[in-house]
Amino acid sequence: MRRGLISRSPIELPDAVLEARLDRVRAAMRDARLDVLIVYTNNTRPAGVSWLAGFVPYWSEALLVVPRDSAPYLVAALTFRVKTWIERVSRLGDVLHHPRIGLKAGQQIASVQKSAAVGIADFDGLPAGVAADLREGGPDLTPSDATALFTKLRSKADPAEIALATRAGAIAHHALQAPERGPLNAMIAAAEREARLRGAEEVYLAAAPDLTRGPRFMRIEGEASAGKFFALRATVAYKGVWVRLVRAFYDPEIAQKAAAQFAQAVAQLPSDRGFAGFGSFVVEGCRVAQPLEPLLGSQFEAANPLSPGALVSVQATVTVDGESVPVGAPVLIGAPGEAASLLIDPLFD
Amino acid sequence: MADSKSTLGEERRQRLAAAMREAGLDHVLLYGNAWQGDYLRYGADFGILEGHGLALVDADGAVELFLDSAADAERAELEAAGVRVHFAADIARAAGARLDRIANSRLAAAPRRFMPQWLADPARGFKLDDATALVDKLLMHKNAGEIDAVRRAARIADEAYVEFLKAVRPGRRQYEIVADIEAHLRERGCPDNFMIIGSGGKDVLGMTPPSERQIAVGDLVTTELTPAVQGYFAQICRTLVVGKANEAQRRAFAVYAEALEAGIAAVRPGARAADVAKAENDVFRKHGLGEYTTSQWTRVRGHGMGMFADSKPHILEDVNTVLEPGMTLIVHPNTYHPEAGYIVLGDAVLVTEGGVEVLCKTPRELFEVAA
Repeated sequence: MRRGLISRSPIELPDAVLEARLDRVRAAMRDARLDVLIVYTNNTRPAGVSWLAGFVPYWSEALLVVPRDSAPYLVAALTFRVKTWIERVSRLGDVLHHPRIGLKAGQQIASVQKSAAVGIADFDGLPAGVAADLREGGPDLTPSDATALFTKLRSKADPAEIALATRAGAIAHHALQAPERGPLNAMIAAAEREARLRGAEEVYLAAAPDLTRGPRFMRIEGEASAGKFFALRATVAYKGVWVRLVRAFYDPEIAQKAAAQFAQAVAQLPSDRGFAGFGSFVVEGCRVAQPLEPLLGSQFEAANPLSPGALVSVQATVTVDGESVPVGAPVLIGAPGEAASLLIDPLFD
Repeated sequence: MADSKSTLGEERRQRLAAAMREAGLDHVLLYGNAWQGDYLRYGADFGILEGHGLALVDADGAVELFLDSAADAERAELEAAGVRVHFAADIARAAGARLDRIANSRLAAAPRRFMPQWLADPARGFKLDDATALVDKLLMHKNAGEIDAVRRAARIADEAYVEFLKAVRPGRRQYEIVADIEAHLRERGCPDNFMIIGSGGKDVLGMTPPSERQIAVGDLVTTELTPAVQGYFAQICRTLVVGKANEAQRRAFAVYAEALEAGIAAVRPGARAADVAKAENDVFRKHGLGEYTTSQWTRVRGHGMGMFADSKPHILEDVNTVLEPGMTLIVHPNTYHPEAGYIVLGDAVLVTEGGVEVLCKTPRELFEVAA
């Protein structure tokens, strides 16, 4: 569920940015001989559709249909009553409402071109009911998996995306700076309030309540207390772009060393050799559906390559003088031959 | 809190395992994400927040959880007691590899329509029957521990509405009001809430996530507040006026109060969801407002509450689910009124052996806040 501010800014996300993305999509569709591209969205998998249309569902599900030669339209399970809201926060040719989005999308596509070649981003992950309805609505359509096509288009962040991620990072920074040391629930509340007041579309606060017992993060339910050393992590969404940032409440000297080691390792990305010796690390980025998909990390059997110019989130546990300190921040991967850099500094006390 | 959480989770797991054995199922695969997380949480006792997940539950109660978010996998290892957690970038194939090894067993999935289609593809070496109805029944019929959680969530919803009344002031933006409420809930240790809001006059057709719109004198401000305790949601719907309510607003609100009372009076064991909806809608029809009970103006006249904020059964005149003790619902005749705009009013209720217990304690009035 999204409970934060959902709005469209023609300054932060001008029509020309979305149109340029659509132009790239259409060019790739022509190369792949696709007549239509479909991207699924719900509030947990909003990344692909928000990138193309700015739309993030607070609830329910929808399909974005991108015909190769006409304006994209949304088939939404949300009712007609929120049509004006969808149009206000998105850039779309039209919005169609139907409880069975696959059925309606299939029928609509087939009404224009009965046997259209339809590429579907994240085809394997499409909900089975939506896939079955799509087949029922357009029995002669030719579906195929367009995940690779879509992933390639998303691999390099455009300037607008970098600007939004920087803004999201700034929100996370302010949020994590807001709480004074005190009861853990009050600190989380202060951080959450600050993030939302600064326009976060969503914020998830997690805590590693006692770093002497472990650096792992959890969601706090009920009354909770923090140890002498602890950490907070803010995962912030701003206009479809997500970042994570960590503030470690630790011995300042150790935390500063950890942050420096982290930045040193980050600079070596896409190579992961800088993370050798870390307790753990994970790199997340946006490929198709989810805003923070795992790409590379110490727990992975198979990693996805990190592309030049990609925006990613890096979380790591750095061992300093025998102490484990969690660190995390958004990162921009450099062009070939360039070092990666932190988009915003992790916080420490 | 942690002990009661794990006890509740263990009770659910045992109920699910018993239902599976009765249905002759060896394994059930449960899908979940942060939108529809109830099926997965029922079996795995884990509230998914990011990415999506699959839980494979055996008829003996053993659970394996496949998650594709690194953050959630880390959290699950701490929060999901007795569950074996797998972190995999492609959970469908990771779970599929596991299902291949038990393909000769009787397998089913819930909710089947949300399963990644790769798993439902007939080309797979295993076949997943549909266990959605089996799990739905468990989700709807709550035991004492689950009812206690809903009851506590309703209490938190009442308290949060008091904060909402304090937060609404002319000039404030909708998202600033929501920031206050979410902070209040986090301070109370409540990690989750579903909340939408509306403000304005006859131009407002419903509620949405918050916008930058500033509250103005004379606005009707509507909200659904739906906090969760141990994963169980309870909802309250109320409407307030900024300043003094005018005669049209008062007259309109009286219809909703009458409809809510009629709807709640219809809740009893043996009644159907349709009976509750009809009781609410008949009040609108009596006042010449029948048009505003249609899908053009309103979605549902209430719904189930539990591990999903919008659970089954939906309270509609064509839903024949029979109400039974242990079900928790919200009854809300929310809709548009042509003289006042969109108005909401709803209370969480429990179906009891003797009839109904209203869980929300906030007065059913058209509140007024200082202009």
